[in-house]
Amino acid sequence: MLQMIVLGIICGLLLGFVLQRGRFCVVGAYRDLILAKDGRMFLATFVVIAIQSIGVYALNGTGVIQFGNDGFPWLGTIVGGFIFGIGMVLAGGCATGTWYRAGEGMIGSWVALFGYMLGAAMTKYGVWKVAGDNLLSYRTNDTYIHETLNVSPWVLVIIVTLLVGILVIRELRKPKLPIFKMKPKKTGLAHILFEKRWHPFVTALLVGLIAIMAWPLSAMTGRMFGLGITAPSANILTFLITGDDALIDWGTFLVVGIFLGSFIAAKGSGEFRWRLPDMKTLRNNAIGGVTMGFGASVAGGCTIGNGLVNSALFAWQGWIAIVFFLLGTWVATYFTIIRKQKQAAAASKAA
Amino acid sequence: MAKVLETTGMVCPFPLVEAKEAIADMAKGEELIINFDCTQATESIPRWAATEGHEITEFEQIDDAKWRIIVKKGK
Repeated sequence: MLQMIVLGIICGLLLGFVLQRGRFCVVGAYRDLILAKDGRMFLATFVVIAIQSIGVYALNGTGVIQFGNDGFPWLGTIVGGFIFGIGMVLAGGCATGTWYRAGEGMIGSWVALFGYMLGAAMTKYGVWKVAGDNLLSYRTNDTYIHETLNVSPWVLVIIVTLLVGILVIRELRKPKLPIFKMKPKKTGLAHILFEKRWHPFVTALLVGLIAIMAWPLSAMTGRMFGLGITAPSANILTFLITGDDALIDWGTFLVVGIFLGSFIAAKGSGEFRWRLPDMKTLRNNAIGGVTMGFGASVAGGCTIGNGLVNSALFAWQGWIAIVFFLLGTWVATYFTIIRKQKQAAAASKAA
Repeated sequence: MAKVLETTGMVCPFPLVEAKEAIADMAKGEELIINFDCTQATESIPRWAATEGHEITEFEQIDDAKWRIIVKKGK
C-alpha cells in the first residue's frame, strides 16, 4: 500500500507540476486548431505520443510491461469520444486539465471535477452502466493498428516519430515572434521552475517522459497501464461512498498527485487564488463535467488515457478517439464561441 | 484615453475572445488595458498580440493570479 501511494503520488506530482507550469491544455490544443488556426499545441500532443511510443515499446520489448488485447470497442469510442469532446469545451478543460485547474483554485473546475467523477461513476457502476456496457459490446477482433496492418509496431513508431520530428523542426525554424515577456523577479532555479514560460515542446517532452515512467511505476503495484484519469476519478467518488478499498489503486494516487503538484506549482509562482466564474460558466462546467464523465467511460479513456496513451500504443481506440474528440470539440466551440463571434461581426457591419 | 477590459473571473479562451472583439472597434495606436486572472492567458494574449502586430506596452502580475496587460493596437 505504501509503495502504491508513494509511486502514484510521485508520478502525479511531477505531472501536475509540469502541466501547470507548461500551461498544457488539451482542450485548448484541439480548440485552437479552428478558433485560432494554430496547430502548435496540437503538434505538442503528438510530441508526447511519439516520445511515449518509443519508450513503451522499448519497455515492452524487454518484458517489463505488457499490453492488453481485448479488441477495439468502436461504437463506444466513436460515441463517447464525440460526447467527451463537447463536454470538455463546456467544462473548460479536459479531465486532467480539470484536475490541475482545481489545484490552481478555479472553483468552476471543482464543479466540473465533481460532475466528471459522478458521470464516470454512474457509467461504470450506476444507472448508466447498461448504456455504457451496451456501447462497449461492439468490438472488432483487432486491438492495434499494426495488428491489422500485420507489421511490427516499430514501423508505426518510426513513421510517427519521423513525421512529428519533421513538423517540430519546421515549427522551430519559423521566424521567432517578438513575444513580450514579463520582467523576471526570480533568478536561477526558482526562475525556471516558478516563473519562466516553458516552450510547449519542452513541456511535451517532459509529459512524454512522465508518461513512459508511469508504466513501470504502475506495473510495480500490479496495475498494468500508463497514465489514466477516468477510472481513478470514478473510483475515488465510489470509494468515498461505499468504503470499498478494492477501488483504490496506483491511479487514485496519480490523480491526487496531479492536483497537489499543480497546487505546489501555482502556489510557488503566485498563481493560486480561489476564483469564481459567473453563473453561466458554472452551469456549463457542471454539465460539461458530467458529459465528460460519461463520454470518457464509454470511449475507454479521456484525452490522456486515449489521446496520449492508447494512441502511443497504436491502439485503434486511441486514434479513433482523437478524431472524435476533435469533432466534438469543434462542434461545441462553434456553438459556444464562433457563432457568437460571427453574429457580433455581422451586427457591427450592419451598424 | 485607454479602454479598459475587465475579464477577471472569465476562463480561457474568453479573455482573449473578448480582447479581440474589443480591439476590433479601436483605432490604430489606441491602448486596451486587459485585466485577467486566467493563467493560460499569460501565454495566449502576448502570443496573439505578437501575431497580430499589436504592441504590448505593459505586462504585470498585480497580485496572486491576477494580471494586467496593455495592448496598443498596431494596425
